[in-house]
Amino acid sequence: MSSISLRAINKSYDGTTPVLHDVSMDIEDGEFIVIVGPSGCGKSTLLRLIAGLEQCQDGEILIAGERANEQLPQHRDIAMIFQNYALYPHLTVRENIAFGLELRKVPKKERNARALEVARTLQLERYLDRKPGALSGGQRQRVAMGRAIARNTSTFLMDEPLSNLDNALRVAMRTEIKALHRQLGATIIYVTHDQTEALSLADRIAVMKDGYLQQFDTPEAIYDQPANQFVASFLGMPPMNFLPADKVPFWKGDADIEIGLRPEALSINPAGAGDFCLPGRIAISEMTGSDVILHCDTDAGRLTLIEERTSLTKGGGDVLINVDLDRAHYFSKADGGRVNPA
Amino acid sequence: MKLENPVQSLFALLFGLLFLSPALYSIWLSFQTADAYYAGGLEFTVDNYGRAVGQYHFARYLLNSVIVSGIVTVGGISIATLAAYAFARFRFRGGDLLFGAVVATLMIPSHISLIPNYLTLAKVGLLDSYAGLILPAMASAFATFFLRQYIRGIPRSLDEAAYMDGATSLQVLWRVIVPLSRPAILSMALFIFIGEWNSYIWPLVAIGKDDLYTLQVGLARLYRINPGEGVIDWPLVMAASTISILPVLLGFALVERHLVRGITMGAVK
Ligand SMILES: Nc1ncnc2c1ncn2[C@@H]1O[C@H](COP(=O)(O)OP(=O)(O)OP(=O)(O)O)[C@@H](O)[C@H]1O
Ligand SMILES: [Mg+2]
Repeated sequence: MSSISLRAINKSYDGTTPVLHDVSMDIEDGEFIVIVGPSGCGKSTLLRLIAGLEQCQDGEILIAGERANEQLPQHRDIAMIFQNYALYPHLTVRENIAFGLELRKVPKKERNARALEVARTLQLERYLDRKPGALSGGQRQRVAMGRAIARNTSTFLMDEPLSNLDNALRVAMRTEIKALHRQLGATIIYVTHDQTEALSLADRIAVMKDGYLQQFDTPEAIYDQPANQFVASFLGMPPMNFLPADKVPFWKGDADIEIGLRPEALSINPAGAGDFCLPGRIAISEMTGSDVILHCDTDAGRLTLIEERTSLTKGGGDVLINVDLDRAHYFSKADGGRVNPA
Repeated sequence: MKLENPVQSLFALLFGLLFLSPALYSIWLSFQTADAYYAGGLEFTVDNYGRAVGQYHFARYLLNSVIVSGIVTVGGISIATLAAYAFARFRFRGGDLLFGAVVATLMIPSHISLIPNYLTLAKVGLLDSYAGLILPAMASAFATFFLRQYIRGIPRSLDEAAYMDGATSLQVLWRVIVPLSRPAILSMALFIFIGEWNSYIWPLVAIGKDDLYTLQVGLARLYRINPGEGVIDWPLVMAASTISILPVLLGFALVERHLVRGITMGAVK
């Protein structure tokens, strides 16, 4: 059992500048939680609080229903992958991976076998006898991962564990982590900057900004009903377009509103004017493979959309952009909060 | 380190010999007879060593020095390491003040504490005992200070990783901090050892029994108990000196390899 609850956590390192404001989350046993947010928003701090490496000024941390604020990190039975790896420089890769097992007095034979097994999954078996100093960044990161997963614990905290891997390896490791999650039924709290990772791994995503929890929900809900303009712009690639309502000619509602349009809510309309069309001009087009990303200038502002490459003629030109208003999001101009206009 | 340049090698050799020459000369002298030496002749013998050990108890002094310096080194470096770890990593009430006090003792000349130490030990009845030689030397403020600075240079995230792996704070010390501080710890151990080996005033004051004398006290007494006909028996003194430096040289030769290895290991990080 390893549910984790945060109750109104406030944290400041120096006592004056707050780093986390009233953060509350209920994480269920076996859930895969991904925390996203811009650099410096407090993601690592949150993980360190759960790990017990930091103390909060205010609020309560419950692990498996019990207050854990005062529990020492070594007694929480949580494995952690540090953002800066924190590998033991005096130990070999094998010893690094097996360190936690050694502390638990697992016999040498058994723990070496386990280290080898873990190293295989992480494609590290060639480096088992090397010291971390003789590894590349990506290799070190995998050793850090190996050290955490060698122990079969019920909770994992992972602080950007794949950030230094090349694309192929990252995709492979992502699959590994997903398999690990399914296999162990472990609770995983995972920090990342990569939204593909967030959307594909998470049971629920926590979006943070400046120490505030913005939204904590399933990937679908975060994508389809973003709680505010920040969440809407943070997830989705290319990001959501925002148009001030008063600049949109066919808009008939409240003018103090920003209209949010994801690229997939827009399309080039070759057939001519529909009800909701904006005239525009293609400013930049980016080839991504089968698709192109088009950046178009309109009177209301710049809009980004995706089109199939074959459906387009090359180069700039005037186009009509069709807007699917059923898929539009609306945000208050005043505070960026989501509004649902009548 | 490799010296490729022959000029460099020659210089290194010359300077090495220059620094070694007093030691070499005293060893050379220790194998001569006093009579021939004062008569300006040259006659070799090992008799000086026999007399130093047999007549003047230098084997016993050597044993005393080895016991005292050995225990002071092992005990002193252990205490210094533990204290340095606490000062470097834990915040506790009065910690900064206490560390300030430790550093402040570095500025007090050791001779000032001679009399208070003497009175304290006299009161608890530890004069004329090994304990009286060992206990006051156990705490090394300099080693504590030096190791604390060194440990602060080790990233704290390594401690944290070990805690997450399930280590207790003593396991963090033993499994992470100590291996990573090995060059510093060995240097400080050597520093403590040499300091204690050469210590003279305190043993002189604290010990009045011949069979507890350390080498340095015994050496100094050799001048007084052997005035001869107004001259000092230099070959005998040199034999006794040689006995007193050999263990240090031997010890250094043993530790030095580890020192060098430790330093390069630290650099790989
Ligand atoms: N030990 C510390 N002392 C003081 N301030 C700190 C400390 N650690 C972090 N901070 C501050 O707390 C805030 C949150 O830091 P944190 O490391 O949690 O950010 P993060 O979301 O993990 O960022 P990143 O994505 O860059 O890793 C930052 O403003 C940072 O400057
Ligand atoms: Mg971080």
